[in-house]
Amino acid sequence: MIYVIPLVIGFLMILPLGRSLFAPLSEYMPSLGNERGRVFSGLLLTCVAGMAVSFQTLWISSKISEGGNFCASNSILSCDDVIGNVEYNVDPIFGMPWGGIGAAVFCILLYLVYSSSKEPNADWVSSYLKMGTYLTFAGFFVIALLVFYEFKMEKICQYCTTAHFANIAAFIGFLRLMRMNQSKEWNTI
Amino acid sequence: MKYTYDDEADIRTTALIRVMALFFVGIMIIATTTSPIATGTKEGERAPALEGEFYNGSSWSDFDLESYWDPTWEAGDISGQWVAIEFMDTDCPYCVQSAEEMGANANDFGGGGNSGWDGAIVNFIASVTELDIGGHDSSRAEMIAFRDKSANSGEDCAGSECGSRPGIAHNFPYIDDFDQDNMKKWNVGGTPSYYLIQPDGIIAWSSAEHSGEELRNAILSLVPRESA
Repeated sequence: MIYVIPLVIGFLMILPLGRSLFAPLSEYMPSLGNERGRVFSGLLLTCVAGMAVSFQTLWISSKISEGGNFCASNSILSCDDVIGNVEYNVDPIFGMPWGGIGAAVFCILLYLVYSSSKEPNADWVSSYLKMGTYLTFAGFFVIALLVFYEFKMEKICQYCTTAHFANIAAFIGFLRLMRMNQSKEWNTI
Repeated sequence: MKYTYDDEADIRTTALIRVMALFFVGIMIIATTTSPIATGTKEGERAPALEGEFYNGSSWSDFDLESYWDPTWEAGDISGQWVAIEFMDTDCPYCVQSAEEMGANANDFGGGGNSGWDGAIVNFIASVTELDIGGHDSSRAEMIAFRDKSANSGEDCAGSECGSRPGIAHNFPYIDDFDQDNMKKWNVGGTPSYYLIQPDGIIAWSSAEHSGEELRNAILSLVPRESA
């Protein structure tokens, strides 16, 4: 839940409906008063939540490898069974834990969005936003693979699903910013 | 006061440092609060799963190696039960020869009560495969005949009648691994191969890392006992 709350708030900021939801707060947080600032803020929140939940999955996989349990359950929601499955809990090429890959990717996304938000008119911003869009789009293939693994195991890992949702939210955010940046209203919206 | 325009004052550097600091804080928290153990088949690693159906002398059931592990076990605790695994092929001459030793080990260290062994119980398991070698045609019937030392079964084990193999009949589980799934997962190069595993699931000894050393000696030197 600790990760879901900032993620949902961030996602709402990213979506067009965030305008009506967060407009009243613009008096205290001026950046929320315009579309660009709101999407940047939502994206920052999403990337931080994604990075945190990825670290959590990495921590869980390390704990399980010690022989302990974290969230084992007989129900379909059992992250121990998913993260602790040695056949699927690392990437098939380098053998890196998925949690570590997620943390590193969200770290890169956070860097792209944080630096772009601080200097939105720099000439490198458009390429950073494109990179973020492509990176999160590539994440869809990884999500598809991991959901396939969960389907095979007939178990769902809540933490992993939260990270997947963060990637989808981040993709929407980067895509919206990229389109805004390509329009003439980048500095007026 | 003199002001100098700094071309290098790029927000990207500051952003990179801040985000990397956040990343390393996360890594440091994980590094200090956990001690991950890799899953593998080398000594000190966590034993991977052993899957398949096993024969217990009367029926076939799904095998679950994890049910043997006790994560709360601590070194020296005599109440924890150890596991010795043999990867074998009933048509491999060396496996036939070692059947006598395996039966004696299971009798002596398996908690039978009459062996004089005062150490922790060692559970024996055989994972039976079919090597891709000419003449190695195994079946469940052959496996049962080998395990139970069934007389006149008509099954052939490495050129002899399975019931005539040396040693006593085995009373430990035999897992059907004819598809070599377990063997590949455990990176077993040949048969027979032996592993001695601690009660917490960590591999304590592997025959691949101790060429020439017998499983019995490994049990005697590694498994804790009251009289030690």
